[in-house]
Amino acid sequence: MATKTVAQDFIKGLWQENPVSRQLLGMCSTLAITNAVINGIAMGLAVSFVLIFSSLLISLFRKLIPSQVRIASYIVIIASFVTMADRFLAALFPPISKSLGPYVPLIVVNCIILGRAEAFASKNTIGRSVIDALGMSVGYILALLVLSAIREILGSGTILGIKVMGTWFEPWIIMILPPGAFITLGILIALANQIERKGKLRR
Amino acid sequence: MSLSFRMIIVLTSIGLLSGGLLVSVGFLTKERIALNKQREIEAAITAVVPGTSSSQKLYEEKDFTIYAGKDEGGNLLGFALNTSAAGFQDKIILLVGINADLTKINSLYVLDQKETPGLGAKITDRESFLVFWENKDCSGPLKLRKPPVASPEQLSPSEVNTISGATVSSEAVLSAVNGSLEKIKKLKTDGKLIVEGKNGD
Repeated sequence: MATKTVAQDFIKGLWQENPVSRQLLGMCSTLAITNAVINGIAMGLAVSFVLIFSSLLISLFRKLIPSQVRIASYIVIIASFVTMADRFLAALFPPISKSLGPYVPLIVVNCIILGRAEAFASKNTIGRSVIDALGMSVGYILALLVLSAIREILGSGTILGIKVMGTWFEPWIIMILPPGAFITLGILIALANQIERKGKLRR
Repeated sequence: MSLSFRMIIVLTSIGLLSGGLLVSVGFLTKERIALNKQREIEAAITAVVPGTSSSQKLYEEKDFTIYAGKDEGGNLLGFALNTSAAGFQDKIILLVGINADLTKINSLYVLDQKETPGLGAKITDRESFLVFWENKDCSGPLKLRKPPVASPEQLSPSEVNTISGATVSSEAVLSAVNGSLEKIKKLKTDGKLIVEGKNGD
């Protein structure tokens, strides 16, 4: 039974409750930074770091924090981890930090993190909260990878900066601009919904 | 313990805890971040004033800095001007490399820009833009060539190329370059451009 819950806590973040395609959380950063795969990876890892550690702390303090001040407390905890992630990126990976621009500090208001804090970490044990955060993180990273890979291949003809399309290929510049983000995300969500519906019918 | 008392205690201790944590993280990373910025500027100076082994900040005002690039013997090789102009989206910040006599532009280096990808953002691309700004005669102001030409040889010594479809970005770069040249020339005629050590000319 125990292993089954652990597995479920993790797996639901990948597809069934995927933060991007199913819960539609954290759309702002998802749309903004997925113009290149490297940005998607960096953003995914930064969000994962914040999500996992704030879930851990929030779950640890869940019985101490009075519910009247819970949101304020969560935000302070989340903001601390975000600032740490931002500083570390600026110190160790200056080019990535530059291309992500203001979107790293903006993780503070990313709904995935506050959403999981409120819906899961504040009600469950530390172990389950961390597993849940891990699952959500992997789900978020996967969604960003798919989105940014499509946009980078079509928009620049490259993947991780390496050319994958031949010389005949004229990059669709719109794909790395904001409209490309909306179009790709819309199609992906439609696909996810379609797959989910088919699955339900079969069941 | 009353509820409001508990709320104050909890929030204060969380605040203090994160404050303490952030101070130590800031302390740990501060030097590294400053070093990264320094390195970026130095690499850019070496790129626009070839052969530079040491650079020195000569003059600074708002949005305009002059660096002198020197070789190992301390001879002045040229100047790197950190300047900016309003682009299509945001400020374009660039480094203009000129020779010691202020007569020739070596090359440009774009430090920061947020122009439209695929159009204005081509100002960072050497093949399609920056190569048209290399080894230019800058005794007078530079002029934009419209419509653009295909190869640098088709331009006169004081002409530079436009990016078709991104006139605003091209003009911003031009105004930044011409503005910074004017400033450094004025400083020279006023006798305020003093380089320590041996002079290149």
